[in-house]
Amino acid sequence: MNDVLVSVRRFRKRYGRFEAVKGISFEVRRGEIFALLGPNGAGKTSTLESLEGLRKPDGGELSVAGVDPSRRPRRLKNLIGVQLQASALPQAMTVEEAMTFFCTYHGVAVRRDLIERFGLAEKRRTQYSKLSTGLQRRLNLALAAAHEPPVLFLDEPTAGLDVQSRAEMHAVTAELKKSGTTVILATHDMAEAEKLADRAAILLNGAIVALGSPRALTARGSRRTKISVLSERASLLADRSDVGEARFQSAADDYAIYTSATPGPAVTAILAFLERAGDPLVDLRVERPSLEERFLEITSSNGNEGGNS
Amino acid sequence: MKAFIHHLAYDFKTGIRDRTKLLMFYLFPLAFFFAVSSFMTQINPFFKDTMIPAMVLFAVMSACLLSLPGTLVTARESGVFRSFRINGVPAASILSIPVISAAAHMAVAAVIIGFAGTLVFKGAAPANVLGFAAAALLSYLAYAGFGLVLGTAAGNANASILLAQAVYIPSILLGGLMVPLSVLPDAFRRAALILPSSHGMILFQALGYPAAGKAFPWVSLAALGGGAVVSFFLSAWIFQWDTRASRPNRKAFAALLALVPYALAVAVGG
Repeated sequence: MNDVLVSVRRFRKRYGRFEAVKGISFEVRRGEIFALLGPNGAGKTSTLESLEGLRKPDGGELSVAGVDPSRRPRRLKNLIGVQLQASALPQAMTVEEAMTFFCTYHGVAVRRDLIERFGLAEKRRTQYSKLSTGLQRRLNLALAAAHEPPVLFLDEPTAGLDVQSRAEMHAVTAELKKSGTTVILATHDMAEAEKLADRAAILLNGAIVALGSPRALTARGSRRTKISVLSERASLLADRSDVGEARFQSAADDYAIYTSATPGPAVTAILAFLERAGDPLVDLRVERPSLEERFLEITSSNGNEGGNS
Repeated sequence: MKAFIHHLAYDFKTGIRDRTKLLMFYLFPLAFFFAVSSFMTQINPFFKDTMIPAMVLFAVMSACLLSLPGTLVTARESGVFRSFRINGVPAASILSIPVISAAAHMAVAAVIIGFAGTLVFKGAAPANVLGFAAAALLSYLAYAGFGLVLGTAAGNANASILLAQAVYIPSILLGGLMVPLSVLPDAFRRAALILPSSHGMILFQALGYPAAGKAFPWVSLAALGGGAVVSFFLSAWIFQWDTRASRPNRKAFAALLALVPYALAVAVGG
């Protein structure tokens, strides 16, 4: 679990005079799901496409499963699977033909089992143009995984999908991780990164401004945990003052809402208050700051809080 | 090799399944053949002499100019080539397979035109079938090369349509398909040698309908052969895996070099 499968060292990428990626470094370990997060133009796609061998770096060193993507692209093709954000298949190609086509080019047996596993069995004779966006994405993911590559790149895999298709894609991605595949995921969807990723890097203006597990990233923020309390007689709303470590914020739908940097003692103090008041608790919700809130905090401060942490 | 053959078989199937390809490979040229042959044989008895090669050439041009460039541009714009690249499909396969599979469809269309032209419209059957087939193949390769160059050089689908029409329409009007080259005024006849169809019609006559005492048209043979070779190399050089608005293909202007063999034929004078 500790060996490094993807290594990026002082990677730079320029487009004319514009420096899109400014010497970033990170490593991805075997079996990890690693998320690259950042607003548009942050350098996510440039990084991903350079790792996939689609672009040449202007500086630094890249290694994917021991291969330099820009020097040995042919060797790379069987080591990686890629679900591109902007890619497609020939419109008239059926699901089964696509699987046969790509398996043949990778020199592996045709993976009809993946058509079943990715829920495409009923559509095996359907042409690509007639599949829904969700099914097209699922097929692209199945094709990317067909030759069992050790590293899988997913670029915005759930963009534009409905809730159900999104959940299915998450389940499939988690299943691939279970089978030992290393996944590098570029996404705008913070909830997706929080749910799937073991670690994430936040890119801003071509530099990494935060790196770590989603939990560690959110813990580093200045945001406090939100505690919402509903009681039978609303004694907390009558009082409207801080309770121990809990700072009273507002009232909404009969809930008293507090924030705290130390949620454990704060909740204990609120429960003690209700017991003293003889006011039975109806509902208690504790919400830690989300990765999205942390992301917005970092990007709104323009990344001025120390990089490559 | 297995992947190449599989890819080729898939591409051949789409010639029937894909509506645009079906239209340009069969429906449009065959409908045009039946319609034009019906009335042209009534108003111009000499049309029967050139009907079969002219209609075969028309089918070739429809496939190579109206289908091939658009297919390439659309695949590049929609990201099909990116998918192919990542999965190890070589550029050589992307360029050669549509040409080979369309050649097979053209052979079928040519056989239909040959039989129907002879049996239904009493057109002149080729005296030398192998020679006729050689002329058809060379004309096909020349136009397929043009199609590849247009498909790789055009920045978008609209540009590919415009460029293809710039070759297609003059090829029909001046290339000896509707009006024999021999009846054109000298200046027009010479200018028409810039078009592969003119050389195609000259070769069809020389190889498919050989007549004693006529000099062999080496210039047309060289123009079509040279044109095909130059076009194939140019398309491989211009080829890009994807379209980037911020970085237009600077090699696209080199596409004009595909005209050089035909320009030389004009200079030599056929």
